[in-house]
Amino acid sequence: MRRAEHQPTTDLIACDECDLLQRPIALPAGGWALCRRCDGPLYRYTPGSLDRALAFSLGAVVMFLIGITFPIMELEIQGHVTSSSLYTAVQQLWNQDQHIFAVLIAATTMILPVFELAVMLSVLLSLRVQPASTWIPNLLRLLTLMRPWSMVEIFFMGVLVALVKLAHMADIVIGVALWSLGGMMVLLVAASASFNLRHLWEQVSSQ
Amino acid sequence: MHDRPTDEPLEVTSAVAAPKGRWSLHLVWLVPIVSALIGGWIAVKAVLEHGPTITITFRAAEGLEPGKTKIKYKNVDVGEVKQITISEDLSHVVVTADMVSNFSAHLVEDTRFWVVRTRVAGGQVTELGTLFSGSYIGLDVGKSLVSKRDFEGLEVPPIITGDVAGRQFVLRGTGQGSLDTGTPIYFHRVPVGKVLSAELDTDGTAVVTRIFVAAPHDRYVTTNTRFWNASGVDVTVDSAGLKMRTQSLISILVGGIAFETPPNASVTPQAAENTNFVMYPDRDMAMKRPDQGTLRFTVYFTESLRGLTLGAPVELHGLPVGEVTNIEMDYDDKARTYRFPVELALYPDQLARHVQPDDMRGAHAEAPTRQEIDALVARGLRAQLTTGSLLTGQLFVALDFFHDATKALVNWGKVPPELPTIPSSLASLQHNLSHFAQKLERLPVDELMTDLRKTLGSLQTMLRSTDALAQQLDKQVAPKAEEALQELRRTLLAAEHLLATDAPLQQDARDALRQLGRASQSLHELAEFLERHPESLIRGRTEERP
Amino acid sequence: MRPSSSTAKAFGLYACHICGLVSRPAREGLSSCGRCGSALRSRKVNSIERASAYLLAAYILYVPANVLPIMETQSVLGREENTIVSGIVYLWHSGSWPLALVVFVASIVVPVLKLLAMTLLLITAHYQSGWRPLERTKLYRLVELVGRWSMLDVYVVAILAALVQFHPLATVTPRSGAVYFGAVVVLSMLSAMTFDPRLIWDPAQKESHTHA
Repeated sequence: MRRAEHQPTTDLIACDECDLLQRPIALPAGGWALCRRCDGPLYRYTPGSLDRALAFSLGAVVMFLIGITFPIMELEIQGHVTSSSLYTAVQQLWNQDQHIFAVLIAATTMILPVFELAVMLSVLLSLRVQPASTWIPNLLRLLTLMRPWSMVEIFFMGVLVALVKLAHMADIVIGVALWSLGGMMVLLVAASASFNLRHLWEQVSSQ
Repeated sequence: MHDRPTDEPLEVTSAVAAPKGRWSLHLVWLVPIVSALIGGWIAVKAVLEHGPTITITFRAAEGLEPGKTKIKYKNVDVGEVKQITISEDLSHVVVTADMVSNFSAHLVEDTRFWVVRTRVAGGQVTELGTLFSGSYIGLDVGKSLVSKRDFEGLEVPPIITGDVAGRQFVLRGTGQGSLDTGTPIYFHRVPVGKVLSAELDTDGTAVVTRIFVAAPHDRYVTTNTRFWNASGVDVTVDSAGLKMRTQSLISILVGGIAFETPPNASVTPQAAENTNFVMYPDRDMAMKRPDQGTLRFTVYFTESLRGLTLGAPVELHGLPVGEVTNIEMDYDDKARTYRFPVELALYPDQLARHVQPDDMRGAHAEAPTRQEIDALVARGLRAQLTTGSLLTGQLFVALDFFHDATKALVNWGKVPPELPTIPSSLASLQHNLSHFAQKLERLPVDELMTDLRKTLGSLQTMLRSTDALAQQLDKQVAPKAEEALQELRRTLLAAEHLLATDAPLQQDARDALRQLGRASQSLHELAEFLERHPESLIRGRTEERP
Repeated sequence: MRPSSSTAKAFGLYACHICGLVSRPAREGLSSCGRCGSALRSRKVNSIERASAYLLAAYILYVPANVLPIMETQSVLGREENTIVSGIVYLWHSGSWPLALVVFVASIVVPVLKLLAMTLLLITAHYQSGWRPLERTKLYRLVELVGRWSMLDVYVVAILAALVQFHPLATVTPRSGAVYFGAVVVLSMLSAMTFDPRLIWDPAQKESHTHA
């Protein structure tokens, strides 16, 4: 492939959904620019969000580590106790010969979210360091591809549903990991929200 | 240098700023918000469904496990033990339990808790199932309106729970025998209730027993009902003999209380809850007439009272008219003897039967007046100790008319009035025997002995002379006697010849007799003929010949 | 002159799907984005074909996903197989109706909606229909947003299977239905991701061009 011939026209933006070519406009802090034609979100102006993103990401990492390793909940029926963390749950499924299942769960709830956080953190951290790493574009590309597949929030809701289903037949003790995962979910969403990709790309291209 | 595109779209529109209220941009928060809402809802639901927490104290936590032991009412789980701790003063165990939320209305002051585990009591093994399923805490819902959350557990399950209809009563008695919680109460030998508790009175004089009689049998308990201790076998040995009475096999082993309303007592209303009753030691004591209205008398006996017991009957003509209520000992200073005052309680209605004429007898016979009693005594009514049973030696007091009794009067001045007595027949027999024995004693035995010896001596001399006489006889008289005897023999022989069967004398005699017989026969025939034909005397005999 | 509502494509410009940079592509062959280096394409490659393929696969697997049980509960009372629907019914009857609603939406409404929506989008895009492009775009946005939710039931089964392992009192085993369902979600997500929504607006663009 050959590089585009001309200087990219950064002044213009094409809507992701309807491809309308538009000029960027000035935005207030936190404001969204929408496509004139289809109302699709174009970009956002979030000053200082990268700091917030870093903070949220770090918090999310800590919570996630706790969330993966500690038991989510403890189940007791007639004196028998079982407990499971996210990691042991995947292990259990693998041991039950449910390989596809185990891989699916592991990918969407552990591997990809970790990756997502890792990438975000490395980008955010390396941006603070001058000169910025040349890997940033690649990382950001990876992030954009991975994002849709990270489903920790759905997993958390699934845990809640399972909790209610189990509450009827056994005594449940909610483990640390449940709170942790809940916190991680919130922080991750917050981190993603303040992770202004467009803004980052512009920062990247300016270097 | 980069070229700008020649057809730079100058007509490119500009983007639009999103209005402030545009929520759809923040839809990414949807999932966390929904999750938070669900989590919140779960938490709220858990809190709302969470019932009240109560504490129960027990002496020990045997069989109780936190997180496992349930609290059950009518076999339905209504709570669970969450925690068991020891009290600060180490005196008891505090059990913390979570109850089901809709049960909070029943946690009131008189709700009781106890541990249900296998027990052996009252001749039964109960709750064997808990050996397998584990103990649980049972409860009895109270009726109070005051709510309570801290309870003192019972160490022993209550005998009756709040939902069993019936009434409780209080019995007072001395010497309870084998009575304990759970002992059955009998009515006509049918178990109708249970003993709830049996404790000493506060001043230690009596035993207070709380009992419960189940509906519908509680209506048989009226204010006139008598209760007695029917434990074991009621063996009475009294003047009437040996009597054995028992309620049931269980009562022999475990004890029991029985009740009955005396048959001729007036009809009274049902006894209210917690009425006090006296518990009598046995049925006879219970069924006796009430004390009020008895005529009390004292009688003095001088003979031994061994065999006379309290409650021994007083009989008039063999029918019971009262009982012995007290036996004492008294020292008569003047006469320097002991005497025994015995108190009698006579039933006026029974006494009246003997005193009043027939038409006055009835349910409301009046008690005999003093005059009437005086009249009886004048006729010879005396009290006498009589043996009831020779086997047991039991005594009773018999009132009887002794026509040759020494004159006596009723001493109305004494309290209670004194009736005259007469020594008992046995006593007189004894008296006579002792009199005779005394006489015997007074005999001059020594003198008699000397006389006897003298007599024996003379007898001996007499014998010696007789002996000499015999010898003489033998020498002289004997041969002569022999001769005489021979003569006699000869005579007898001659007589024999004469009188032998074929002797002519005999033959002649026989013939003569035969003749006589024939003659009498013809005479007899003639007599008969004449009887049939009396006219023949006149007419003579006709041709008819027998 | 009225500013034209024109797509970038109409102007011959390409927007990078990764970094969003609008640039003019190289005259010949493939160009790469000047900013991020990813391949520049005007529209997603074979969007309709790929999306349709994924969608079809999703349709096919939707049947076993709902018919086959997603989990099996073995207890002393016996063996019980649960489908998605039976799980919802259970939640409803046990009093947790908000959760029943959530699971119902996530596991039944959303997948069906997705499948139908994608079908509509693909058909209209294929026939280059100009029908209500705005609504269709909004529909697409919705589909993309809620698509992931359908994984809910899959996670529930996973958690239950991992926790409820009390032999012999109660044991939960995931069954094939769960995998098929997961596959349906993945395929539908892929279908949505490979579909280029800009195709909705291209026919309108062409028309306005021809008209203009």
